Amino acid sequence: MSEWISVFKRGLSIDNPLTVLMIGLCATLAVSTKFEGAFFMGLAVIFVLTMSAILVSALRHVVPEKVRIPVFIVIIASFVTVVDLMMKAFLPTVYDFLGVWIPLIVVNCIILGRAEAFSYHKPIRLAIADGLGMGVGFSVVIILLASIRELFGSGEIVFLGTRLIGFPSWYQAPNIILLFPGAFIIFGFMVAGTIALNRRMGARKVQTSQHCTIEEGGRS
Amino acid sequence: MGTFQHFALLLIGGALVNNILLTRFIGLCPFFGVSSSMETSLGMAGAVVFVMTLASSATWVFYNVLLVPLGVGEFLYIPAFILVIAALVQFVEMYLKKASPGLYRSLGIFLPLITTNCAVLATATEAVKPGFFKMNMAYGFGFGETLVYTVGVALGFGFALMSFAALRDRLEVAPVPAAMKGTPMAFITAGLLSLSYIGLGSWFGL
Repeated sequence: MSEWISVFKRGLSIDNPLTVLMIGLCATLAVSTKFEGAFFMGLAVIFVLTMSAILVSALRHVVPEKVRIPVFIVIIASFVTVVDLMMKAFLPTVYDFLGVWIPLIVVNCIILGRAEAFSYHKPIRLAIADGLGMGVGFSVVIILLASIRELFGSGEIVFLGTRLIGFPSWYQAPNIILLFPGAFIIFGFMVAGTIALNRRMGARKVQTSQHCTIEEGGRS
Repeated sequence: MGTFQHFALLLIGGALVNNILLTRFIGLCPFFGVSSSMETSLGMAGAVVFVMTLASSATWVFYNVLLVPLGVGEFLYIPAFILVIAALVQFVEMYLKKASPGLYRSLGIFLPLITTNCAVLATATEAVKPGFFKMNMAYGFGFGETLVYTVGVALGFGFALMSFAALRDRLEVAPVPAAMKGTPMAFITAGLLSLSYIGLGSWFGL
């Protein structure tokens, strides 16, 4: 059980997919203009990540080494299709906002990367821990980024039509935070904060080299 | 609007105004991954122009000739497109290895990475599924429009990647606080670069 928890916690802290490993950035920066969008994006990623981790791990003795990448992609694509259709049916406004980013979860490097690096070699129990941990780590960062951007960029946070929190009306929201440069710059500061924090806590050396490019480069 | 003007607008819109990297955040992994040297970004840019054009044409034909008539376009397009793209990249790689080893050596290592590059899947999806990204132009492209739009997007990708690589070259020697060194500073630079692309949008009145 303690092993399960330590695997789960790694996704949140020293192996956080966004601020430490720097994978799956595109979706994060693009959908983080709204708290609502980021929240459901996080849920979608947790679902796809955990379900595909379970299936990949369950099939790890059946799938031969040579065809593993296509198999992973088909597994992931099936779960993404489930999310795509469910969201279109039950949350049409959120679906309109997320748009092309739902199909793009397929090529999100977090999911393929974890299938390749973790679930393919580990029992189902641990694969679930890794999937949940990575998914929650992703969601925490994206929701934090979206909260900052929506709060300061539009002056209030609206969730499914309800106003959660907001500034009084004298606050003049700087539009740039909602635009694309705002995302880059705020995320840059978040990464810098993580690096400073890790350094202070004396955590293991931050590895920023693990881009999806490197990960994919391992396949021949 | 004349035909020529329509196509010119598609090309410029795809390449500059709606630049896939800097104003839409699609395909950021290679943007930060390979932009540390000019040489690799040139290789990546070339490979993307090549693969994206092929992939969008192939998926357009696949979608309109096979999936739509069978009535499964709505829920099979994600797995179908990713498989078409993966297979295509594999074939291109095998062909290049055999036919033109020189080109293979310069583009080769980037080809497998491109399969999981969201930019290729996004462009392919956009060309056939209308309304994903709202530009002031009609979607639901015909084949010619798909081709022009994809070339525009790919050129915009290459241009942004190479200009960012040039900027990062200078950043290496710039004095930066210790915690900001490397990626955080790269993000902030990308933010400033993206600001200039947003200016372009109002310039063209799109």
